[in-house]
Amino acid sequence: MGRITRRELINLVGAVGVVATLGGLAYGLPALDRSLPSQRAVSSAEPYQVGAGVSVVPPPGATIDVTETRPGENEGTVLFRLGPVRYAIAVRPFRGDLDAAASGLRERITNTAGYQVTGAQLAVSTGGGLAGVQGGYTAPGRGGRYAVFVADGLTIEVTISGNDLDLGRTLPQIEASTRTLRHDGKGR
Amino acid sequence: MTASIVRPASGRIRLSVPAFGIVLVLLGIGTARMTSLAGEFVTAYPKATLTSVLLFALLAVPFWLFVAELDFLEREPVRLRLIAFAWGGLVATTVSIPGGAALENLIAKLGSPHLAADWGAAIAGPTVEEIAKTLGVVAIVLIARSQVNSVLDGVVYGAMVGLGFQIAEDIVFAVGAVALAGQGDQIQPVITTFLLRGFLSGVWSHTLFGALAGAGVGYLVVRRDPVRAILAVLGAWAAHVLWNSPLLTDGLGNGVLALLGVILLKGLPPLLLILLLVRRLHDREADYYASRLATLRDPELITAGELFALRSGARRAAARRQAPGQAKASVRRLQRAQARLGVELSRASTTGIGHWSSVIRSERAVLKGLGHPEAIAEPTSWRHTASTVLTTVVAIAVLWVALSALGGA
Repeated sequence: MGRITRRELINLVGAVGVVATLGGLAYGLPALDRSLPSQRAVSSAEPYQVGAGVSVVPPPGATIDVTETRPGENEGTVLFRLGPVRYAIAVRPFRGDLDAAASGLRERITNTAGYQVTGAQLAVSTGGGLAGVQGGYTAPGRGGRYAVFVADGLTIEVTISGNDLDLGRTLPQIEASTRTLRHDGKGR
Repeated sequence: MTASIVRPASGRIRLSVPAFGIVLVLLGIGTARMTSLAGEFVTAYPKATLTSVLLFALLAVPFWLFVAELDFLEREPVRLRLIAFAWGGLVATTVSIPGGAALENLIAKLGSPHLAADWGAAIAGPTVEEIAKTLGVVAIVLIARSQVNSVLDGVVYGAMVGLGFQIAEDIVFAVGAVALAGQGDQIQPVITTFLLRGFLSGVWSHTLFGALAGAGVGYLVVRRDPVRAILAVLGAWAAHVLWNSPLLTDGLGNGVLALLGVILLKGLPPLLLILLLVRRLHDREADYYASRLATLRDPELITAGELFALRSGARRAAARRQAPGQAKASVRRLQRAQARLGVELSRASTTGIGHWSSVIRSERAVLKGLGHPEAIAEPTSWRHTASTVLTTVVAIAVLWVALSALGGA
């Protein structure tokens, strides 16, 4: 086996530098991200602006996960956490009716491996005058609820997931929160 | 015109350097990751995935041809161009997916969700992606330093890395749009994404940013000019930031023309700046090889008119276009052989000079037989200019109608 030349050594060091930089991007940044807390306290005394003029009063004791919360002028998402239970709301521009919106959400739920929609859909409304439908779904070790509303060119999708025990404990507060959903017609 | 503008390569590629093995491993990892992702797409949305792969692969063709024309005079080896393309599509994407998401999360955590919503895509995407793509050009330098012998070579490899990234990213976005629509395995979201990202945004996208970052690597390794190198790489990042930024989002209203106006305001300045830079680099390289060819003083090998045509991509294309039917292909072969002769002259390779001189004489005989002895370009006629402008306007109109019909605009 021959000796490595100076030129080859420089080449090797350069290649290792490239690998190290790639590693920093692919693994270093996610590690740094994981090392910082993602949850922040949120007040349940006032409405939280989800985006596109849609607001909701968070359930008592909820925190927001800033990694999955993106408020915006034309759309927005928020992820509340109540212990291990996820309570997500997504607002997006939408051209269609309530049936199409509900069908689209169900399709996305069932496209996730192991997820199945259960039972019938029921009509639901909010104190802010939004009309929608809600239903349930199951996944291995988890259960969930979903609700969809359509208003003024927007779809508002609510998904709640967690294990059955935690869901049973927090669902009344979350459903009370969902009923505070409101679209003020601004923001778009 | 000095030799410092172009450093002639030996013509050989030494792929035995340590970096080559490492690059192969990285490409292998990227292939495995992207294949896994593609497998998930195909399983969930087979028709939409295959349609998007087909459409965006077709979209890559004109970009590839444009870069090839840029690279006409001193052609970069196909396998290196393929490595650059694969780096963009497999390695840079694999790294950028987790890296970009993590950086956006950090912006939300250290700033706020509002900051991340408004500026996350503008800061995180360009920062991670431009670094990952520029490393692709660095990798090419490490495995074949002798092939990067002008700043234009850096542009070519950077554009190839960017093109690979652009195509892979577009496919991911197209299938993502299908998933988001929640209507099953439909191709309409793919078509809309293709028109929006492929045409409206495609011109000022990763291929362009990659070309500028590649110029930066070229400035560093060929000219030893760190200031221009840093400016070029930062320029690529800044152009990407501007494109992704929320600036002007609501500034011009909500109409179709307003959207087109925003696209032009954000995309056109970087596009023009980068095209001007690339043209200047191309012309300087062309001048260098033309000066070598001019020393021949042999009209059988190259005439003054052909030398003038060879120095510009537009004039080369015009010379081919203006040639009568069967002579078009022969003019292309003649131009290619003249370009190769210029490169061999710069390398002082007796064998290469003899070979390509012989090829040129052979093509010259063919052209004379076809009654078109000289491959020159006449000045562009007003009809050609008017036809080009009209075709562009019609293409934009058709694109807009299609987008409106699909609900994408």
